[in-house]
Amino acid sequence: MIRIQGLVKRHGSLEVLKGVSLNVAKGEVAAIIGASGSGKSTLMRCVNGLETFEAGSVVVDGVKIDGSASLADRQSAASRVCRQVGMVFQAYHLFPHRSVLQNVTEGPIHVLKMPREAAEARAIKLLDRVGLADRIDARPRHLSGGQQQRVAIARALAMEPQAILFDEPTSALDPRMTAEVLAVIADLARDGLTIVVVTHAMRFARNVAQTVHVLDHGVVIESGAPGQIFDAPREPATRRLLAESGAA
Amino acid sequence: MEEKAEPSSSRSSLSRRQAFVLLISLLSLLGSASFACADALDDVRKTGRLVYGSDEEGGAPYIYLNRTAPPKLVGFEVELMERIGRSMNVKAVFSQGLWENLLPVLDRGEVHVVANGYELTERRVRDFLPTRPYYVYQLQLMTRPDGLARSIADFNLPRPGGGPWQVGVLGNSAADTYAQRFDPRLVRVVRFDGATNAMMKVRSGQIDATLQDLPAARHYVLQPEFRELRLAGPPEGCGYYVMYVRKGEERLRDALDEAIGLVIRSGELKSVLEKYHVWNEAQAVLEGWAGAGRSEPKGNRPWFDLRLLRDFFPILLSSAVTTLILSFASMPLAIVAGLGIAIGRRYGPRWLRGLLGTYVEMIRGTPLMLQLFVLFYVLPELGILLSPWVAGVAGLAINYSAYEAEIYRAGLQAIPGGQMEAALALGMSRRMALRRVIVPQAVRIVIPPVTSDFIALFKDTSVCSVLTLTELTKRYSILSNSVGGVVEFGLATALLYLAMSLPLSWFSRWTERRLDAEGEKGA
Repeated sequence: MIRIQGLVKRHGSLEVLKGVSLNVAKGEVAAIIGASGSGKSTLMRCVNGLETFEAGSVVVDGVKIDGSASLADRQSAASRVCRQVGMVFQAYHLFPHRSVLQNVTEGPIHVLKMPREAAEARAIKLLDRVGLADRIDARPRHLSGGQQQRVAIARALAMEPQAILFDEPTSALDPRMTAEVLAVIADLARDGLTIVVVTHAMRFARNVAQTVHVLDHGVVIESGAPGQIFDAPREPATRRLLAESGAA
Repeated sequence: MEEKAEPSSSRSSLSRRQAFVLLISLLSLLGSASFACADALDDVRKTGRLVYGSDEEGGAPYIYLNRTAPPKLVGFEVELMERIGRSMNVKAVFSQGLWENLLPVLDRGEVHVVANGYELTERRVRDFLPTRPYYVYQLQLMTRPDGLARSIADFNLPRPGGGPWQVGVLGNSAADTYAQRFDPRLVRVVRFDGATNAMMKVRSGQIDATLQDLPAARHYVLQPEFRELRLAGPPEGCGYYVMYVRKGEERLRDALDEAIGLVIRSGELKSVLEKYHVWNEAQAVLEGWAGAGRSEPKGNRPWFDLRLLRDFFPILLSSAVTTLILSFASMPLAIVAGLGIAIGRRYGPRWLRGLLGTYVEMIRGTPLMLQLFVLFYVLPELGILLSPWVAGVAGLAINYSAYEAEIYRAGLQAIPGGQMEAALALGMSRRMALRRVIVPQAVRIVIPPVTSDFIALFKDTSVCSVLTLTELTKRYSILSNSVGGVVEFGLATALLYLAMSLPLSWFSRWTERRLDAEGEKGA
């Protein structure tokens, strides 16, 4: 489903990603863990084309973004990838000038050119699924952080993506709201959606993910089933990370 | 009962009377009261300076900077004032003022005397004291050699090419008054701020002719830049240039009269006038001047004359419509252009960003007046003829587009980067993300500053008077100079501006509230 190969990303002379390779199968839930600054968010942004990269490639469902291709080629590939891969951001990034319902219908109506009625029916169904059917006319700023993040998830789902990337979806939330959001993600995982989630919530990664990748200083140092990573980490850096987050 | 009620009612009527007195004194301060209470002649003697108001703009041969290095202020009036000062044992000092505002400047007490080709007119004599004349002027028609008008008399006949004759004049001058005597169906009078502006428009063929005071016509027709113009037909009409002092300054007036008489009798005036090629036989009458037109001032007119407003308000109103049209035609253009520029500067390629940045700095860094001048007086030299309306709307739109661009740039910068990323992640193109997500948010942010700019533009339309468009401020200036009524027309003009700008403010606040309410709806 998603194949990342030898991805290199530089900010000037600083190499943020030093040849990252990892695969996510269809229907798989993959968690990416790592210390702050290890390059997790950058990796997510490269996968759906929000950032360019210097070398390597990303293939999503057969569409290839090539780091060495021309700008125009990369942009057209990136926009095709965007339509297949949803993204949920740490800071939600809901559109403040639109209602909850409009946030969710924006993509289907204007990008997928869906009729308004169909888009709204789908949006209401999705908002119901994330538990916000009663707030469809509210403005984002009148919602709690957890509610906003659940709207953002509905917004991503409305595009019927092949996969959704979650970039630290609960880092800005308190424990109770974190639980609300993680419950929704776990629900999606059970439905067989392909999910890549960058997270610090180790218990969630352990319970929901099928594969855990550990990123350290721009390199994937360890990948495996949650049981293996959390109970028998091979790398010292992984042990350190788990000890710091109190999950070992 | 009655006795009890009395004290309070008398107290309140007293305070009302005090308030009334206060209001009157405030208004008379605003109006034509003179600040200089001391006798002007004493002031001249004490300081040794005779300050005279005059306008350098388009001022040859009256007063202008000559082309020698270093430039020196010359002109027949400059030399006349020097000689008058000498015979009064004081130094004559020039003070710059806009020609049509020189009398209000005199009224404020900024200068002792106004001497700048001011004609002896009944209207001015009502409010100011004239000296004896120092020049007999006539009006001269200037045209292109291939022009249709051969002399002033032609304006009594239909224009051969159809349409009315377009005759340029210096606004509020004797030529202005003279040209208005013709049938308005045959002659359209185009008012300019400066004498040479009218000549430039004759040269480019946009108006048929210009009617000028003879000295100016004789001077400029010899200058290289107006060599293509010619003096058409004989000079006509006749009047006197006099100096004006404030009412009640009879002593200064008498002293100036004596000095002018001396300069005339000694032949100095003739030599000065000959030096500037403006002497003719008509000047002979100056010596025999016996004080005609020296009518003593009639009684003061009321401090607030409502009849003036009754008679002239419709004219004022029609000029307000000009202001409205200019504003409402130019501001939407400026807003659209500004938004485009801002988007180009923030999201465009590097070369475009540089280009637009330069545009904004160039336009913001130069005065609107200069930009209008280029559009209207310089472009015709390159063969681009814009009508006053087109030049006015284009000039205002160009000028304000730079300011709107900066406002929108700030608005766009205030939108978090995550908004663009979220839109792109939904599969939108950048263009669609701008249209659907970024710009709608930025527009909400910029409503207050854009409204405030719109109101500023209302008032900046007054600069369009350099394009011969008579908008509200220009009309006020014309009326208060030709009819009088600085206070009356000033008040009416201010009210008209407010009547135009207040609804805008209300509209802006209503829009903001409505957008806010939209946000509250689902809360």
